[in-house]
Amino acid sequence: MKTWCIALTGTFCSIILLAFIPPRPLQKFHIQGYSQGTTYQVTYYAADSVVSQKQTDSLLNRLDKSVNLYQANSLICKFNASPKGIMIDGHFRILVKKALEINHATGGLVDVTVKPLVDAWGFGVKKPAHFPDSARVKTILKNIGSDKIWLQGSFLHKKLPGVQIDLNGIAQGYAADLLSNFLQRKHVYNYVAEIGGELRIHGRKPNGKPFKIGIEAIDDNDINPGPLRKVITPGDGAITTSGNYRKHLEAGGRQISHIMDPKTGYPTQNEMISVTVWARDGITADGYDNGFIAMGLKRTLRFLQKRTDIGAYIIYQKPNGAVADTVTAGFKGYK
Amino acid sequence: MERRIFIKNTGMIAGGLLINKTQNIFGASAGAIVRIAVVGCGDRGKGVMSVILKSPDKFKITAVCDVLDFRLTEANKMNKTGDTWKNYTDYHKLMDDKNVDAVVVAVPLNMHYPVAVEVLKADKHLYLEKTMTYNIEQALDLVKMVKARPKQVVQVGHQYRYSPLYYRVKEMIAKGYLGKISQVDCRWDRNANWRRPVPSPGLERQINWRMYKEYSGGLVAELLSHQIDFINWAFDTHPEEFMATGGIDVFKDGRETYDNVQVLLRYPEQGMIGNFGATCGNSRDGYLFKIKGTKGTVSLLTDQGMFYPEKDLLKGNDVVDGVTGATRIVWNKEGGSPILPEPTKDGTWYALNDFYDKIGSGKLPDSNIYTGAKTAICVSLANQALYGKQITNWKKEYSV
Repeated sequence: MKTWCIALTGTFCSIILLAFIPPRPLQKFHIQGYSQGTTYQVTYYAADSVVSQKQTDSLLNRLDKSVNLYQANSLICKFNASPKGIMIDGHFRILVKKALEINHATGGLVDVTVKPLVDAWGFGVKKPAHFPDSARVKTILKNIGSDKIWLQGSFLHKKLPGVQIDLNGIAQGYAADLLSNFLQRKHVYNYVAEIGGELRIHGRKPNGKPFKIGIEAIDDNDINPGPLRKVITPGDGAITTSGNYRKHLEAGGRQISHIMDPKTGYPTQNEMISVTVWARDGITADGYDNGFIAMGLKRTLRFLQKRTDIGAYIIYQKPNGAVADTVTAGFKGYK
Repeated sequence: MERRIFIKNTGMIAGGLLINKTQNIFGASAGAIVRIAVVGCGDRGKGVMSVILKSPDKFKITAVCDVLDFRLTEANKMNKTGDTWKNYTDYHKLMDDKNVDAVVVAVPLNMHYPVAVEVLKADKHLYLEKTMTYNIEQALDLVKMVKARPKQVVQVGHQYRYSPLYYRVKEMIAKGYLGKISQVDCRWDRNANWRRPVPSPGLERQINWRMYKEYSGGLVAELLSHQIDFINWAFDTHPEEFMATGGIDVFKDGRETYDNVQVLLRYPEQGMIGNFGATCGNSRDGYLFKIKGTKGTVSLLTDQGMFYPEKDLLKGNDVVDGVTGATRIVWNKEGGSPILPEPTKDGTWYALNDFYDKIGSGKLPDSNIYTGAKTAICVSLANQALYGKQITNWKKEYSV
């Protein structure tokens, strides 16, 4: 009884003592690396450096081997070169499933089968000598359309050998998700993970303040960028941006957008300059942002009118040439 | 009106010459084809010819000249135009050729001045390879001569800076994107003897003229002059102090010009040091050109360039925890941004196109007699420092 009493008192004392040991303070850790042809950065707060660049590099490398068009041996390149399709891996399957879902939701305006158009208009890996004429566009369009690919288990089929897909518009958002999941598995709950301008955010800074996210200026000057256009505090979720201001070509004094209209076969031409999307995860936000550029202002606003699970901050050009912006109800952290 | 008075005063012959020249100038502006003679058909001469031949709408080669017969044979082999090119072994004789509007001079450095003088006297436009002249006296003399002949276009062959990339870097410097620039690092290295094959031993000095002081300013004149010239042009300046060291350290094969050189230039006005080096004993760096400022570094090849912002400036962004934007195109893992989205064409292409335009407009080329003289003087002062083992200084009378 006595022994039991001592043991109990001991345990009690230990609990009291433990309660008084201050938790180890959170420190800021920063990882900077290179993947998918762009840079990535992770800033996280933890007691210790529980996540290393070696780990994040290898995580993103696996995705690269699956869906990077710039890696000749990637699964996506093998699929594009195949006559009927190939067996794909888990990452690839998740991305294709989501892409098909978004294709359906946007009435076909977001379509991963636009790759032959992207190439023909000079935004692919190989640069053509000149822009395609209408006859060439018509021929290319025969291979465009999400009805020309389908999943059967882990086999991704294609209807015609010329069908090719490009997951660049969605893969970076998904890469941010992978970084986010990995941090959570390591019990890191306060972080910002960014790849190619697409972000996943979770938690707060140790001082209790929310993470501040800047929306880049639209001045196309990478060498000496202008000041941030807006600073937002979106809280937990994903923020991605699609813009016409950085990647475009010029022809006859006209700017050619890198976002293709899968219906017409021509680059989109409308008032949209840049769309920043908030959604719960990166694959969704990144999957939709190009689509909103293609939809144009009116349709995008209608699409997002009553939605709170996804929102957008849109920069567009008014008919008089002035640059304006607007925000939808679902866009978080905008003041 | 002025022209009429001039003809009246100078008589028929001189007047006739002037009319001829005027027709050439205005002819080119109306899209006429400029008839070119190439003096010196070695590697560089043939290189320029190959670019000229790609623009048959602007240029037509009508004559070639070289003291070596086999070089003329090689040059003529490039002729797929159907026209025959007049062949000369004596450049003096070429000067009387009425079918020549402009002369490209690509001869050994010691011959730049005498050939250029003849071209100018013959009232033809001149594209003179770099370095403009062998010494300072010739540079100053040529400036005087060209000043007196405003209707002739004279361009100096510092072709690299004609690339849009180099114009963009000049603009970046002017706009302060690099911050305060304190250092310029340049190299042009190779792991090879820098010799050309010699068909018979008697031709050694003629073919490998770069090895001999009598003909050449060595690595500084033939290679580093491009980068020295770019810095002069981009900053609109020139160095005041020249220090140098070097030797024949790798190839002790009877050459006289050094195969290992390092030149240190001081630009007091800019508060800037220029390090220009070349060796024949290592090829790792090859062509290296770095301009270093408080805000970032520009790193250049001949046809592409990167900008690396200073890391502390990127980290110092405490306003936000992340930035969203359209995907940045990044070429390399160190986080540099390409200065231009695509590699540019060979500099000679841009330089010759501009030569054509300037013949049409009569305007001063960007690589002109004044910038050419400034660089030739720099090369000469650097070589005096290098071979004379002394510190040399810019003199007031060099500023023309």
